[in-house]
Amino acid sequence: MAQGITQLAPGLISFLKSLKTTPADPSVEHLISLLKRRQIRNSRPCAIATTALMLRVVGEFKGRDAAKLVERIRQVGRRLTAAQPREVVVGNIVRRVLGLVREVLDDNTGDSHTGSDAGHNTPTHHDSMTRPTLSSSISTFSPLRHAAAEPMDASMTSEMSDSSEFNRRPPLLTSHTSYAPTTSAPLVNSLFGLFSQPDDSNASTPTGAASPDGKSAHSLNLERLADLSRSTNIDLKSEVMDGIRELQDELEQSDEQIAGVALEHIHSNEIILTHTASTTVQKFLLSAAKKRKFTVVHAETYPHDNTATHGILLTGRKRETRLDEDEDPWKPLTAAGIPVYVIPDSHVFAIMSRVNKVILATHTVLANGGLVAAAGAHMIAKAAKEHRTPVVVLSGVYKLSPVYPFDIDELIEYGDAGRVVPYEDGEFVDKVDVEHPLYDYVPADLVDLYITNLGGHAPSYLYRIVADHYHTEDITL
Amino acid sequence: MSVHTPTADKPLPDFDIVSTYRSILAGDAELTMPVAAIEALVEAIAHSSVSTVAETLALLEHHTAVLKAEIANPISLSAGTDLFQRYLITTLNRPAALNLAPGDDFRAIRNHLLSNGRLFVDRAKQSREKIASFGKHFIRDGATVLTNGGSRVVGALLRRAAESSTMRFRVVYVLSGSESSDTIEGDQIVADLRAHNVPVATVPDSAVAYSLGEVDMVIVGAEGVVENGGIISRLGTYQMGLLAKSKGKPFYVVAESHKFVRLYPLSQFDLPIEQKVLEFRVADDTKGTASKPSEDEGFFDMHGAKPKCSGVNAHDAVDFTPPDLISGIITESGVLTPSAVSEELIKIWF
Repeated sequence: MAQGITQLAPGLISFLKSLKTTPADPSVEHLISLLKRRQIRNSRPCAIATTALMLRVVGEFKGRDAAKLVERIRQVGRRLTAAQPREVVVGNIVRRVLGLVREVLDDNTGDSHTGSDAGHNTPTHHDSMTRPTLSSSISTFSPLRHAAAEPMDASMTSEMSDSSEFNRRPPLLTSHTSYAPTTSAPLVNSLFGLFSQPDDSNASTPTGAASPDGKSAHSLNLERLADLSRSTNIDLKSEVMDGIRELQDELEQSDEQIAGVALEHIHSNEIILTHTASTTVQKFLLSAAKKRKFTVVHAETYPHDNTATHGILLTGRKRETRLDEDEDPWKPLTAAGIPVYVIPDSHVFAIMSRVNKVILATHTVLANGGLVAAAGAHMIAKAAKEHRTPVVVLSGVYKLSPVYPFDIDELIEYGDAGRVVPYEDGEFVDKVDVEHPLYDYVPADLVDLYITNLGGHAPSYLYRIVADHYHTEDITL
Repeated sequence: MSVHTPTADKPLPDFDIVSTYRSILAGDAELTMPVAAIEALVEAIAHSSVSTVAETLALLEHHTAVLKAEIANPISLSAGTDLFQRYLITTLNRPAALNLAPGDDFRAIRNHLLSNGRLFVDRAKQSREKIASFGKHFIRDGATVLTNGGSRVVGALLRRAAESSTMRFRVVYVLSGSESSDTIEGDQIVADLRAHNVPVATVPDSAVAYSLGEVDMVIVGAEGVVENGGIISRLGTYQMGLLAKSKGKPFYVVAESHKFVRLYPLSQFDLPIEQKVLEFRVADDTKGTASKPSEDEGFFDMHGAKPKCSGVNAHDAVDFTPPDLISGIITESGVLTPSAVSEELIKIWF
């Protein structure tokens, strides 16, 4: 982190620069090494880097075979997530891109099948798949230790492909990649999975859960892929690249979109408690500060984030980020006339009785509504619960992951213990074990509201947003 | 089996839905009640000569009513009958979506149902395995799992976890001492797990709070999953949920999605069944209700233990666990939050 200050140090900027001239494969290696060395860290830089790389990968992809493109993206995605499994965002972006490919496929095959089953294919498939995708594999998967041990053994997979509910889900909207509620598929009926047509009979297709010609949905999928590669009028690559660019726009705009609802949540004379250095939270508060007067209490998140916190309060910029990294450094809250109190984390409970609202930044939001955030977040949320203070979490949809937290310990990263007790203090370090966790897992029931770039959601509703943004078949990369 | 149905005007006096249901259930130990109910209804259609949609629906409605009236605890099976009814209504309403000519849609659906009855059952059983394959990820190495009852899904899940040899986990199994079928199945699962080298401790209901300190997670089965995401499960599940919540232990429910039932109970006493759990007595009338002669002879539910329609005895009784106690519902299509249940139900009903 320290060497990030020098211009030459490798990081997001240098990666994005080199991406312009370097071909995809070396760039993948480059990003992997950056991720491994933690020279790109935190959700947003990781998301931006991954999206840019994906654009490059898709751009350099030759041929029209969609299945190969999917495989290529997957393969890159697997390597990236393996390089830094705790940066869950990397996997999220890869899955979003895979979703884009599938969506382009769906759209086009839907159009090209104008014949007897065109009207049949698209709608019925949608209802068969139906499921809030939390479904099938959310559970089967965590990018961390057990990603390898996914439950779908051979028999399962074949079984699933014949009932087909697992294979397809309604397409995401191409134009607004994150405008979720588009899945109002006509009469969804996943509960009817029991009754769906078996593979071997062509007699009738009561639910449409199986393909009309009696082929399993899996083979159907392949067929459609092949179909697509034959048809020349679809420019798969450019459509996917357009989608990725929209994804980039979404990353750029998500803070502004979240800040756009600030006035609905922050009222005059409120005391707001927040923690760590988060661009999203600062922009949110600033946007409210334009119209309202309120007070901010900022827990400094010692020891791993305190310098960044101080920086963001003083200059509107994290101290370790370089000038050119953030194209528009914003004014700090204090410049907007907002009184800001910085407190050590240990004072959170004491001051909580006076706080009206807690606003948390997040590292990753998990499918069950829990979140991984800077260390100290759990304590803040607990204290807030104790005082019945509402806890609001700000998070771009790109941070929302289909991962289910089977093992919380796996998600927590440990940092440099030297920042807690400097190594020079040899006598102390000899006798005492010093630990420095960077993240906390905050369970869903401590959170009252999530604000994403789509709006406000209850934690229990997040499964639905996950379902709208990720295809089930992509959940295991 | 003798034929007995309380309703007088049966369109098909020759078909006994209840005995069919019971024989189906008795014939296959692996079968769940909703699936058995669906099977029985399919059978009913097969025995009838209905040729129109309205006739079929009327027939189904009649048989469903009979079935629900005869079985002491019809919550679980009503999930099956409701699902079947909705399935028929939705498919019959949308013949165009099925690639069927307007003329033959009904017959095609009927044929599909009749020819694939076995398939439904197989699917229902497969879904159990699917759940097991999702659910086993919840069991981490070194974990201790608390469970209760004789749920076959839970059994399958634990067995699957035990078969993946890398996982070492322990099970605390709550078994009530009574002679209910639940206990018998529970014993089987315990024996099975022990055969797989999983250390299992069996404790009575009263030891749940005591054991909870040693437990990392609670996994229970369910008879029905209701609209608000709560579950209906064997008596004692509710208190396990309350205790788990108070100790901060995750409480997971495993249930196939055909157990989703359209009920919205607000409290324990809203369930549409009569349970002989709370019976207030004074010294005089000790044998008042208990030895009430059963009003019909020869009718026993599947356990053959108690007279029909006279309420459910305490050891077969169920309770309602509200959704706020449940961390997640593991179904064959993934892990749902309790609030996802209503969405699933709304999808098929509206």
